[in-house]
Amino acid sequence: MARHPKDRAHILERVQALGGLTPGVAQQVARETGVPEAEVYGAASFFHLLASPDTKVRVCTGLSCQLGGASGVLAAARAAGWPVEEVSCLAACDRPPAVMRERDVFVEVTAEDVARADGWASLTSRAEPSLDWTGAVGPVDADPDTLAMNLLAPPRYDGAALARSLELGAEAIVDRIEASGLQGRGGAGFPAHIKWRGVRQQAETARYVVLNADEGEPGTFKDREVMLRRPDLVVEGLAIAARAVGADDVYLYVRGEFGAPWRALEAAIERLAGPLDGLRFHLHAGHGAYICGEETALLEALEGKRGMPRLKPPFPTEHGLWGAPTLIHNVETIACVPGIVERGGDWFRALGRTEPGSKLYCVSGHVARPGTYELPLGVSLDELVEAAGGYVGTLRAFSPGGASSGFLPASERGTPLDFKHLAKAGSMLGSAGVVVLNDEADLGFAVREQLRFFEVESCGQCAPCRIGTRFLREAVDQYRDQHRDGGKPRLRQVAEAAWEMNEGSICGLGQAAPLPLTTVLDNFPEVFGADPD
Amino acid sequence: MAGLVTTFGAGAMTNSIREIRDADFLFVIGSNTSEAHPIIAMEMKQALHRGATMVVADPRAIWMTNLAEKHLRLNPGTDVWLLNAMAHVIIEEGLTDEAFIRDNTEGFEAVKETVARYTPEEAESVTGVPAEDIRWTARRYATTERAGIYYTLGITEHSHGTDNVYALSNLVLMTGHLGKPSAGMNPLRGQNNVQGANDAGASPIFLPGYQRVDDPEARAKYEEAWGVPLSPEPGLNLNEMMKKVGGQVKGLFVMGEDIVISEPNVSRLEAGLNNVDFVVVQDLFLNETCRFADVILPAACFAEKEGTFTNSERRVQRVRKAVEPPGQARADWEILVDLAARCGADWGYTSAAEVYDELARFAPKFAGISHARIDEGIGLQWPCPDDEHPGTVYLHEGGVLRGRGAFQAVEFRPPIEMPDPEYPLVLSTGRTLYHYNAATQTRRGLGANAKQPAAFIEIHRRDARARGIESGEMIEVSTRRGVVRCRAIVSRQVRPGSIWMPLHFPDARANLLTTDAGDPITGTAEYKVCAAEVKKLDAATLDESEREPARFRGSYYAERGPV
Amino acid sequence: MRIQIDGRDVEFEPGETILEVARREGLEIPTLCHDPRLDPAGACRTCLVEVDGWRRMPPSCATKAQDGMVVRTRTERVGRHQRALLALYLADHVQGADACETGAPCELHAMAAKVGAPTDWTPLEPVRVGRDDPNPYIEFRADRCIACARCTRYCAEVEAVTAISLVGRGSKTTIGTVDASSLLDTSCELCGGCIDTCPTGAMTEKRPLLQLAPPERQLEKVRTTCNYCGVGCQLDLNVDPATKKIVKITSPPVGTPPNDGNLCVKGRFAYEFVEHPDRLTTPLVRGEDGALREASWDEALDRAARGLMGVKERYGADALGFVSSSRCTMEENYLVQKLSRAAFGTNNCHQCAAT
Repeated sequence: MARHPKDRAHILERVQALGGLTPGVAQQVARETGVPEAEVYGAASFFHLLASPDTKVRVCTGLSCQLGGASGVLAAARAAGWPVEEVSCLAACDRPPAVMRERDVFVEVTAEDVARADGWASLTSRAEPSLDWTGAVGPVDADPDTLAMNLLAPPRYDGAALARSLELGAEAIVDRIEASGLQGRGGAGFPAHIKWRGVRQQAETARYVVLNADEGEPGTFKDREVMLRRPDLVVEGLAIAARAVGADDVYLYVRGEFGAPWRALEAAIERLAGPLDGLRFHLHAGHGAYICGEETALLEALEGKRGMPRLKPPFPTEHGLWGAPTLIHNVETIACVPGIVERGGDWFRALGRTEPGSKLYCVSGHVARPGTYELPLGVSLDELVEAAGGYVGTLRAFSPGGASSGFLPASERGTPLDFKHLAKAGSMLGSAGVVVLNDEADLGFAVREQLRFFEVESCGQCAPCRIGTRFLREAVDQYRDQHRDGGKPRLRQVAEAAWEMNEGSICGLGQAAPLPLTTVLDNFPEVFGADPD
Repeated sequence: MAGLVTTFGAGAMTNSIREIRDADFLFVIGSNTSEAHPIIAMEMKQALHRGATMVVADPRAIWMTNLAEKHLRLNPGTDVWLLNAMAHVIIEEGLTDEAFIRDNTEGFEAVKETVARYTPEEAESVTGVPAEDIRWTARRYATTERAGIYYTLGITEHSHGTDNVYALSNLVLMTGHLGKPSAGMNPLRGQNNVQGANDAGASPIFLPGYQRVDDPEARAKYEEAWGVPLSPEPGLNLNEMMKKVGGQVKGLFVMGEDIVISEPNVSRLEAGLNNVDFVVVQDLFLNETCRFADVILPAACFAEKEGTFTNSERRVQRVRKAVEPPGQARADWEILVDLAARCGADWGYTSAAEVYDELARFAPKFAGISHARIDEGIGLQWPCPDDEHPGTVYLHEGGVLRGRGAFQAVEFRPPIEMPDPEYPLVLSTGRTLYHYNAATQTRRGLGANAKQPAAFIEIHRRDARARGIESGEMIEVSTRRGVVRCRAIVSRQVRPGSIWMPLHFPDARANLLTTDAGDPITGTAEYKVCAAEVKKLDAATLDESEREPARFRGSYYAERGPV
Repeated sequence: MRIQIDGRDVEFEPGETILEVARREGLEIPTLCHDPRLDPAGACRTCLVEVDGWRRMPPSCATKAQDGMVVRTRTERVGRHQRALLALYLADHVQGADACETGAPCELHAMAAKVGAPTDWTPLEPVRVGRDDPNPYIEFRADRCIACARCTRYCAEVEAVTAISLVGRGSKTTIGTVDASSLLDTSCELCGGCIDTCPTGAMTEKRPLLQLAPPERQLEKVRTTCNYCGVGCQLDLNVDPATKKIVKITSPPVGTPPNDGNLCVKGRFAYEFVEHPDRLTTPLVRGEDGALREASWDEALDRAARGLMGVKERYGADALGFVSSSRCTMEENYLVQKLSRAAFGTNNCHQCAAT
């Protein structure tokens, strides 16, 4: 039996190394680690990449990939008799459709690529044969002084920001973070300095810094781009955070589908080894579970458990990794830190329009140049799409912050894309993964796909989410199937279930999961032909 | 039992079962708790879940050692060395509770003198337990406020069982871990009513309530109540009685025991049984002892009768009738009343409650207990001296019952029979989770048969390999007293040189092998140590069913336990 | 320290949860995943309450009372939540109490009725899978499982064998063993604690008699003491009033000493012997030919009395030995020693319990 909980941390990695959850593997890992075999099995079975070891090819069926032709690729792979399954978003919405072959992600894959391949093992993408692909970033003509991260600039490995932070001292760093007004870029928009101070004021001296690089919200791929293009900012930001909160160990939880970003981080840690002296960086791979982007689910997964969110309070700042005070931030949030330390909080704050800082917006769907654009926080959809080369077709609806943000009508195109204004519009900025749909898109289908995403990715811990996501998806399916015969959605049941999911779910996934349906019922009543029953 | 009466003044768990979960340090010695007392093990597991620390001292690796912070894997029979060395450390490092020793005990100086010679380093060479682990355990035990000791037959089933209990008592007394919650000294009772059988006076030296038969005052009370003179001579204890069957003992009345399974060295006992005049057996089943019986009386089981059991924590609880006994079977107490009547004693009881009332009337410890009171609540823990008394959760609060706790200096004595070239292995016997005692009840159940379908021994892979034995194969175990055939489980639970065998199986009676040499004070036999040898059986001597290897499913820690 | 619950001003001990304080006050808050023996999970969501100043409703089972907290358990919001949540549970469950509660009670139906939850929500496609398991005692019925994890937490926290765990994810979350093996091939000790703690009858006894028995609420429960080891667990013999047979053994409510609702494999399951055909049903005496034959009670008792008296007459009282039993009751042990001492005059009376 593992008496020391850290023994458990590597069980998922071991299951992966042994080829996934085939018979006997959980028992072997249990023997090696002392973790009970049922726990190894239960934990591994939670993660898609471990639970179905026989599946070799996974086709992304996120909304943007669906718009980009994923279903044709999937059909071709099935027709070829490949061991293939659908997978939730692979964070390549800007270069659809994406396909994962074992743990390698190819983009812009076509049905012809599948037909051309000699068996699944030789699948590649003719359009983009490299595994180290990147997406479009911009704006290309921006003044670098207006960008907190500047993804187009080459990485720097001089450790200047870290050196500056050592001169400043911990308290002054946190003051700068506070002055900058930096809000968490992962989705919640929580003021970063409160977390930093929260960890600093704990009596417990074993503390950790954790990087949340489990980007998986459909429509979102900015963290991928940061890690590929500016891993220096991430690593240096983590080091500054660790110094500021008094942590010696930094854990990087990188989603398992991110091979290239992982390698970029690894190389950056290597190159910054000198300045990082005294800090230990630990890279941990995810294994296919969107929910692990939720910070406490991520901590569970890091501990080698099923990725089920914890009850809060207590928050990770107080009771995080292995119960110790933990500072956990999204990649983009951390990447803002070196600039803030070097150029000051006021500089960063002034980069924003309606809220502090510049922001990485991802845009995909019906736009000319899908990609990642660093713009003042608070630009409108029209401004963002202009940076991305303009709309394709006529705007009908958009999802401002990934699946969890639902769908807004074209009339909101001028609304500032920030935390405050979008909340007021009944949506959210979330991770700023903007998906644009033109008037040719089947909005009912889009709703169905977003609901299915949440159903598949629900951790199953709490009933409102576990049952509710399925309840809503089945309701929409039944409606769409029976539509011709004049079927109507079970509006009253759906409304109650949606209300309950929002009120009763433990974490943001279940709370936000009804939004794709409820925002469409509100904003596009014609889609489900709704007259209340 | 006798050991604890001597040192503390009462032979029972000092503390209650529910207190275990709140202990911060658990010293478990000679107890395979999760198999023999699963519910107490659950209490311990809850304490561990809460953050408590446990040390398990046992020659075998058992499930509890998986959960323990440390496993002190001592050589069988070297308990006194281990415990005296712990006492040595506690005294040497000044961790004794001087105030408690001064106010509540006597005889400490003698113990101090004795254990001074038991250094941890020498203990390591005798017990095989690293000196540092002995020190660590002693320190943690002494310096933790809620530190409890839990033991079972691994302590008492030795020729020096009473010494072991004394050595443990010394640790309790010198640290003052007595008379407070979640601490104390806790013998976990093997049978449902072991405590009660002793409490009720089924003892050669005690009348009910631990009143000695050679105490004229106590005797007088019963002589008056029963209207007959009583013998002042202590009787034979079970061990002596069994040895004298066929000799001094010419007639036996056996109720609810299968002595030819449960008693040690049964070949000798069986020879004796062929030499007695008359045997009465009263039981649920036609057990093995019935082969020697002249009269067999069919009894009701626990679900078919009224009465009380007293558990390990001194709690008197009700047994209630739910269904009718089969055929003409009757409750043991009813049979006894009728039998007594035919022997000239007209007792006139019409219910079990009346019997309890008489028991309580003359035994002050139980005076406040009755069926009616228990029926109102949830059982009562003795001492319970009057009708208003709520019962006693833990003993020795505010002072040791005996007056002063008696330290007992003990010296190590080796077990009676040690391995030699002819019998090079040490055989210990014990219980398993799925079976119970003579298995008259459990081998009639599906679970036991699915998990442990056949008799077995556990043998270390090194010893097995040396003898060409594979797991599941038929083997033969022999000692100076007898031979049995059973299956081998090649296991890392036992250490090299040791074998372990459950006592439950009538087709492979472990007690054909064990020695009946016993503890000089209690008469308890040394079931835990005797010399033995194992050999693989020639395939030609096996019948069809024996040739297939037996499967012991899910014996997780046997196959995958510590090396 | 004090909190206010539903207008009542209540004192509490630091560390107590809202649920503990409320239950002590006799206020009913529904729970499904709560078992006082286990760490709170807060997962079933039935016990959510409103706390003034908190945006979200916290689970009362996992939320510690804080000084000055104002808690409301009977608001419109709490009620709406309970109704919608139970409607969802029922949509994902065996429909109808009669069909559901075979062999074991299920708390969902009564709870739904109590809070007034709609029972007509469109049922979902069943997706959870069970497991074929030849073990003789414990059955898992996936269609009744609500994934509250009481069984798996019990198995890890109380029984500490961790033979089962939550397996899979999302709506397919189920209770499983390693590689879906039989419990017999795991570290399971067949204690049946999973059955005891299960609120919906998903974990249940595999007993033939139980399949024919009426619902559990119609069984007669006889509280008694286990007849195996010295812990003295309290248990309830469940008797089918029609057949007068024991159809299962359950443990008394959590909190009942000494076993706190826990039982082991022997206590919960090893009572097959009670009904076993090998039971002695009539007195037997050994005839002249050395063979045993059936006898009447009169004959057998006469023979026993004469035989024992004869030994005493021939060799003296101390030639008799009385072996009593630590398996029998206090009363029976008392009577054996009385028989030995008062009727025959010897102290040769013992049982194997001298330790």
